[in-house]
Amino acid sequence: MSGVRFRVDGMDVEARPGETILQAAERAGVRIPHLCYMEGMRADGNCRACVVEIQGERVLAPSCCRVPVEGMEVSATGERARASQRMVLELLLSDMPEGSYRADSELLLWATELGVGAPRFSRRPAPAPDLSHPAMAVHLDACIQCTRCVRACREVQVNDVIGYAGRGAGARIVFDLEDPMGTSTCVACGECVQSCPTGALLPRSPWEAGVVDELDMLSPLDRSW
Amino acid sequence: MSPDQRTRPRRGRPVGRPIPKGRQVDPAALAEVRALLGDLPRRRDLLIECLHRIQDAHGHLSARHLTALAAELRLAMAEVYEVATFYEHFDVVKEGDEAPPSVTVRVCESISCALAGSEALRAQLAARLGPGVRVLPASCIGRCDHAPAVKVGHAPVHAATVERVEEAVAGGRTTPEPAPYVGYTEYRAAGGYELLRSCVAGARTAEEVAATVLASGLRGLGGAGFPSGRKWEFVRREPKPRVVVLNADEGEPGTFKDRFLLESDPHRVLEGLLLAAWVVEAEDVFLYVRDEYARARQVLAECVAALEAAPPCPLPRLHLRRGAGAYICGEETALIESVEGKRGEPRLRPPYPAQVGVFGRPTLVHNVETVYWLREILERGAEAFAGAGVRGHKGKRLFSVSGRVARPGVYAAPAGVTARELIEEYAGGMAPGHRFYGYLPGGASGGILPAELGDLPLDFDALAPYGCFIGSAAIVVLSDRDRARDAALNLMRFFAHESCGKCTPCRVGTAKAVELLEAAEWDVPLLEELSRTMMDASICGLGQAAPNPVRSVLRYFPQELAR
Repeated sequence: MSGVRFRVDGMDVEARPGETILQAAERAGVRIPHLCYMEGMRADGNCRACVVEIQGERVLAPSCCRVPVEGMEVSATGERARASQRMVLELLLSDMPEGSYRADSELLLWATELGVGAPRFSRRPAPAPDLSHPAMAVHLDACIQCTRCVRACREVQVNDVIGYAGRGAGARIVFDLEDPMGTSTCVACGECVQSCPTGALLPRSPWEAGVVDELDMLSPLDRSW
Repeated sequence: MSPDQRTRPRRGRPVGRPIPKGRQVDPAALAEVRALLGDLPRRRDLLIECLHRIQDAHGHLSARHLTALAAELRLAMAEVYEVATFYEHFDVVKEGDEAPPSVTVRVCESISCALAGSEALRAQLAARLGPGVRVLPASCIGRCDHAPAVKVGHAPVHAATVERVEEAVAGGRTTPEPAPYVGYTEYRAAGGYELLRSCVAGARTAEEVAATVLASGLRGLGGAGFPSGRKWEFVRREPKPRVVVLNADEGEPGTFKDRFLLESDPHRVLEGLLLAAWVVEAEDVFLYVRDEYARARQVLAECVAALEAAPPCPLPRLHLRRGAGAYICGEETALIESVEGKRGEPRLRPPYPAQVGVFGRPTLVHNVETVYWLREILERGAEAFAGAGVRGHKGKRLFSVSGRVARPGVYAAPAGVTARELIEEYAGGMAPGHRFYGYLPGGASGGILPAELGDLPLDFDALAPYGCFIGSAAIVVLSDRDRARDAALNLMRFFAHESCGKCTPCRVGTAKAVELLEAAEWDVPLLEELSRTMMDASICGLGQAAPNPVRSVLRYFPQELAR
């Protein structure tokens, strides 16, 4: 089966059947920022960091969800696309806590690469950390609402413990009925931690302060390991 | 084999938990939920209806009921919770939280009611109405012609004052008063449903009907303005089974024409809807009515029952769906999600609803007013309708006029009419003591124009050069006592409150924009930069249109920003 020939930033690119603009562009060496998209997971197109300009279209399109058509002209690093990519990163960055939970936060890496400076917006009120689970820490102050963890939990592992509740600026990641992760139906598979781009969900060491005490409080049955 | 019977190989001793991890179903709560659901099918797409039944019976949604409902519907708790917390009219109450009082008073704070002093009214009501009543702000409840409007439960209070609301609360009535409308017998006696019956009987072909509608120039009157005839063609090209949806989720601030139609002449709307369903050969028709329109929903339920009891011709299956308080569900793909019982988050396009809509089927979504005009177009001909316009514009439509005018209301006027004509010739001029200062040509989304541009013809596309659009034709008139920047702040707060939270430019952008607009001095370059990204990169029309009022202020009302 032959691919689809289209152009990205003036360069001829051939997309394999079913491949998105983002995937084809990446293979061709064009770097487009992306956060809610992760290889191996359904693309959701919600973060809008990967928006590109497609000739003839009124608004920008998420390159993670769009499949190119023959002859399509895409501008991925042009002024208009870059302005929105940077603004999206700046908006998300403005709500992050001082210091990152992970040095390799995907948000920080992309912001650095695109030269996004100090955010010009004020920070949202930070939710309290949830350290109820012995093996995972939840710091939603670093959450960018990309819902990768929701898809990891619901679609990859089919545990369906994590949900996306509320709406607008109040939209948030929850476990079951917004319960502490440690008392939710979470089976501690760790898929959500693997999927989180910013460290809002982190692995926790049992030797970290406080964690061992919690383990001691669990029933002997739970400690059968 | 139950989990506690499991044994570890070799060592032979029981492992695992004595009870499973997480919330467990309370059998009493499950029995209560089952009783409330009755014989309602246990289907995911009916989740919102299930939540309504619990909320209506108990006044809130307790955690034990949500856990039981999830079990009963075989859904994950998270899936139930994320839907319950999305919609304004559901109150989730967890252990240790206080249940809301039995009476809820919602004070509309959208633009027309805000101009009429709703903010002060809400503060007074909160102070005066004692415990047992809670007072909440509300997004537009579609009663802008009676501003300020308030709802006590589901009963509207028009031109509300503290005394009137107190009286309504004391009266204990929380459902809308029945009012007369053109009923089934009356409608049929006047020739109603003859057109539909004859079409179904073969008097006209679907192609003829589609061609007539295309020639009439009828466009989607919910705001998008897509030619209706073309939309039919797209849906007809897709394989069956197909679905038709009536979008009665009229939430655009300043818009109340659809409520007016549903409460006065509902069968004309239904006949148009059924004609469209016949043209695209749909087997299922969904009628999605916003929760704020309790009376309209009641009327539609009566109409559907009357229609099904004595059908004029074979009918598709009709399903009435009740929204739960979310402006975004007026966006057609968010509405489709909501019909499926989910959070009202817009879908990415492509694919378009004509290809992949409700339950993945090709779907035709129509606004109430769009189908309302169909009978007239098909009875009197395309030319008669198209010729109703003025200044080279085609057709006519219903304008919702509110704000600082003497007689706010719904007025049928030709496409191409001007705001000044609407004010002077239809709405009885400006309200006493007010001078025309500016107007919103298309509700919250369509931008703001100054009085100097009050002679522009109002129609789709006509306002594009001015950075505005007519949308749902909600004309909100501002006077010399108002400031456009205050209106822009009110509208941005509305968008921030109604953003679904899915995409960054809208979720974060509207919240940051509110902060920027609250500052005494606007950071104009930053506002412009942010606006551009919201317009360019948001998923749906909400985020894309949210900056319009701000951009209008920058363009037409710079004097308000001068230091």
